[in-house]
Amino acid sequence: MKLSLVSTSVLALLALSGAAVSQTADKIKFDYWYGLSGQLGDVVAATCDRFNESQSTYEITCVGQDGYANAVQNTIAAFRAGQHPTVVQAYDAGTADLMMSGEFYPVSKMMADFNIDIDWDNFFPGISNYYASSTGELFSMPFNSSTPMMYYNIADLEAAGISTPPATWEDFEAALVAIKATGKECAFGYEPSTWIDMEQFSMAHGIPIATNNNGYDGLDSEYVYNTTLHVKHMENIKRWYDDKLLEIRSTQGGLNARDSFAQNECSLYFGSIARHAAVGLLVDGKFEWDVAMIPVYEGTARQNTVVGGASLWVLSGKSEDEYRGAAEYLKFLMTEESERYWVSNTGYIPVTKTGFAALNAENFYANPPYKGRELALKSLTYTDPGPLTRGIRLGGFIQARSEWTNEVQAALQGDKTMQEALDTAVMRSNDVLNKFARTYRGKQLP
Amino acid sequence: MRRAYFKNNWVAALVVAPQLLIIFIFFYWPTSQALYWAFTLEQPFGGGSEWVGFENFQYLLSDGRYWDSVRISTIYALATTALAMGMALTLALFADRQLRGYKGFRVGLIWPYAVAAPAIGLAFRFIFNPSAGVASYLNQAFPDIWNPVMNGDHALTMVIIAGAWKQVSYSFIFFLAGLQSIPRSLVEASAMDGARVMRRMWDIQLPLLTPTVFFLIIINITDSFTDSFGIVDTMTSGGPARGTNLMVYKIYEDGFRGLDYSGAAAQSIILMVLVVALTLFQFKYVERRVHYS
Amino acid sequence: MIERTPVLNIVTHAILFFGLAILVIPIYLVVVAASHTLPDVMAIPAKLLPGDQLVVNLQAAWTEAEFATKFSNTLILATGVVVGKIVLAALTAFGIVFFNHRLRMPIFWMVFITLMLPLEVRIVPTYAVAANALSPFQAILDWTGISWLVQRTTGIEVALNWNLLNSYTGLIMPLVATATGTFLYRQFFLTIPDELVEAAKMDGAGPLRFLRDILIPLSATNMAALATIMFVVGWNQYLWPLLIITDPAYGVAAVELSRLVPNMNTTGGDVPNWHWAMAGTLIVMLPPVVIVIAMQRWFVRGLINTEK
Repeated sequence: MKLSLVSTSVLALLALSGAAVSQTADKIKFDYWYGLSGQLGDVVAATCDRFNESQSTYEITCVGQDGYANAVQNTIAAFRAGQHPTVVQAYDAGTADLMMSGEFYPVSKMMADFNIDIDWDNFFPGISNYYASSTGELFSMPFNSSTPMMYYNIADLEAAGISTPPATWEDFEAALVAIKATGKECAFGYEPSTWIDMEQFSMAHGIPIATNNNGYDGLDSEYVYNTTLHVKHMENIKRWYDDKLLEIRSTQGGLNARDSFAQNECSLYFGSIARHAAVGLLVDGKFEWDVAMIPVYEGTARQNTVVGGASLWVLSGKSEDEYRGAAEYLKFLMTEESERYWVSNTGYIPVTKTGFAALNAENFYANPPYKGRELALKSLTYTDPGPLTRGIRLGGFIQARSEWTNEVQAALQGDKTMQEALDTAVMRSNDVLNKFARTYRGKQLP
Repeated sequence: MRRAYFKNNWVAALVVAPQLLIIFIFFYWPTSQALYWAFTLEQPFGGGSEWVGFENFQYLLSDGRYWDSVRISTIYALATTALAMGMALTLALFADRQLRGYKGFRVGLIWPYAVAAPAIGLAFRFIFNPSAGVASYLNQAFPDIWNPVMNGDHALTMVIIAGAWKQVSYSFIFFLAGLQSIPRSLVEASAMDGARVMRRMWDIQLPLLTPTVFFLIIINITDSFTDSFGIVDTMTSGGPARGTNLMVYKIYEDGFRGLDYSGAAAQSIILMVLVVALTLFQFKYVERRVHYS
Repeated sequence: MIERTPVLNIVTHAILFFGLAILVIPIYLVVVAASHTLPDVMAIPAKLLPGDQLVVNLQAAWTEAEFATKFSNTLILATGVVVGKIVLAALTAFGIVFFNHRLRMPIFWMVFITLMLPLEVRIVPTYAVAANALSPFQAILDWTGISWLVQRTTGIEVALNWNLLNSYTGLIMPLVATATGTFLYRQFFLTIPDELVEAAKMDGAGPLRFLRDILIPLSATNMAALATIMFVVGWNQYLWPLLIITDPAYGVAAVELSRLVPNMNTTGGDVPNWHWAMAGTLIVMLPPVVIVIAMQRWFVRGLINTEK
């Protein structure tokens, strides 16, 4: 019999206040912490409400953590205190840390344990590969999957004499020049983003970010993006910044790239397809716009991009009832109805093939406001994922992203050349990888 | 110094026990835990750790990025101290004349102390925002002259101004008290000797204020380590390009965002040693010379 | 002070006014921003005169940030810090000043060291034990074999667990664990004349009675001073709550304020609601500023005496 000082007093209090226990005590409760905020966060909260309304055995309590980084940080704090939620929405950058901790219940195993039938092959391979073990078992449930797109203002492009959105970076640069020539101040609203500029760029071009197939094959990986085409790309960005072909529009400055685009200030911007709905709401029909796949450099054989967004992890150390509830919730999210709800209200794309097929069958993507989102799937499935385009499995990735961002900012300011910046970022990120490997000495990537 | 004491030492034990217990649990024990983390590589989810000895410290002390952070913290500390104390001293010297409206001025110069760091951070972030705040006027006249979003120096300037704003009241209170404890007779005597206001300020008031000045320098510097977090987090998140990455902020970012608990622990230990050294220095060399009645 | 020449007076007033302006202008700009609609706030160039949306924005900010809960939490936090500090400070100073035992000096130094390290500098260490604050006692029990003994004899496994996340104690305790008020009280107790102590002893009063009936009433002003400062400190807490509060039901005002405007670390891309954020700033600022102004005499005195 365990005697816990605090819990006995709490039990005593509860016994005294037994009358205060409401009828929801019958329901099995479990917690879910999600990282999305703003409009997207609201929709997540709505999915929770829908789950609660759809059945009466379980009750999910969803708490928005106001940011993916916060979600991971708070989960860790809670985990150390044994107060963590059952389900957490963790982003791609946090994958390796979660995986190495081993403190999760792989969803494939969980669903099997509770005899819930999920067709794991129904997930698009470009999506499931990111979250699967080396043997193909899914650790976490894909949920909000997105990929970057190029958002463009149709009218501005046409005024510049361009009828189709640029498919190569060379054409893109020409477009910028042409748009500026029409007198538009801001042709391209840019915010340095590792996800778009480095990760997805490398995926689309089939170039490595790090050795060991971007970390999948072992913990002793090293970054190599300072030796690939990525360098030339960033140098171009710097050149466009200097030549005023693009303007920096960051969240820090108030009006970020997305809002600059939506307010018709900038003609082009790169962002996640997830923002598609929000942009639609903000633009509100004031001008015509659309999305296209991100460009590649001439002569490249385009590869698939990978997912961003996050997946749902089930953490260890909870009761069986709570796991049952979590399994039901995940199953609920996989129903066609839920998928439709999710993709209608956000820009995210369906994660299952049948889901996408069903939506296509009813011409969901034929008209605004959903038109254009199918291109995200095209980008994700352009080719089958190869060893270099499965995703990223590198430890301490949050820090690595931060290194890249800070160095690129320094280069844009003119403090150093882009090559120097990327070299420094790589060097420091390798230190992080090193530390990660040693923190988990003796363990393997699952 | 003879003192009358109570004999019952058990009572003494009883009354100090609560504080000792609390500082043991919430001060000394945590510090030992931090030391443990600093000498190992701690896994974020707590699954285990790997002993590495002094390596975390070695890495830090040879890391250019860490020294950048130290440099930025030093600049921040010195700049805010100089600005805040300079302004506070000037204001105190003139407020001390106790002209009409003295009470009003005093209140008006004291209340900023009560404003929370994040509130100040937000307010100044808005004011200095290159595209939305008052600073936008400047950018309209001279395009791109002020850009704290991309330019680390501008960002640091902005943070320093916010920090100095926060610290003026504190120094003002002490300067005013210090001035008021200078015996009037001294000042009157020198006035009768024909010394005018500026002369008196220079020859009498300022020298007698020197202990207060030293005291405030140390306090302002140590406070700049603590208050700055709220300001930096709401204004710049340590950027751009780490231009405002103060030591306290770096600890937060490395440890809680980057999930590097051991590195953050090592940095904390160094910071704690630094702050203790500063305070001890103040106590030994400055306190002795301060005499308030 | 001595001369009253008009020129000098004008200069004095001018300087003081200028200083006041520097301190007040940022707040004025905040009020301006809080009284416009969002498009007006984002307009370039910025508006310099107040608009008419102040009340609207204040209300919006209040609901958006759920300040009702946060304020009550922050109030509990601040009050808890005040009470904790005062009680501990009075008791400890009493124990140090009015008794003569060998451990006086060691205790003094142990307590003094805590003065030097405010919580912001100790976040990582404090966080390290936040999961289980009783871990030292658990460790002691384990190491000395007592827990083993207890388990063998009674079958009860001793697992001391006190986690600080999402609790008022978790918010308050680490703040109370420094000696801020102790030296204020010590200073004050040192000025208590010996005669009082002698008189009490002669009356047969024990030390606790002396404390309760004489010292506490006498220290009322000090108490007020300390209370004011500690209230402001508690109310304005930002970093520590940021780390250990994961449940919005326990959030505090300062942290919530920063959520009104997104920064580099948020995801979900909201438009920065500057007008609400500025309104929120005003709301969060108000209670401590009112307290400082109302209690300024005690506050000033407390500040000066605390630093000795």
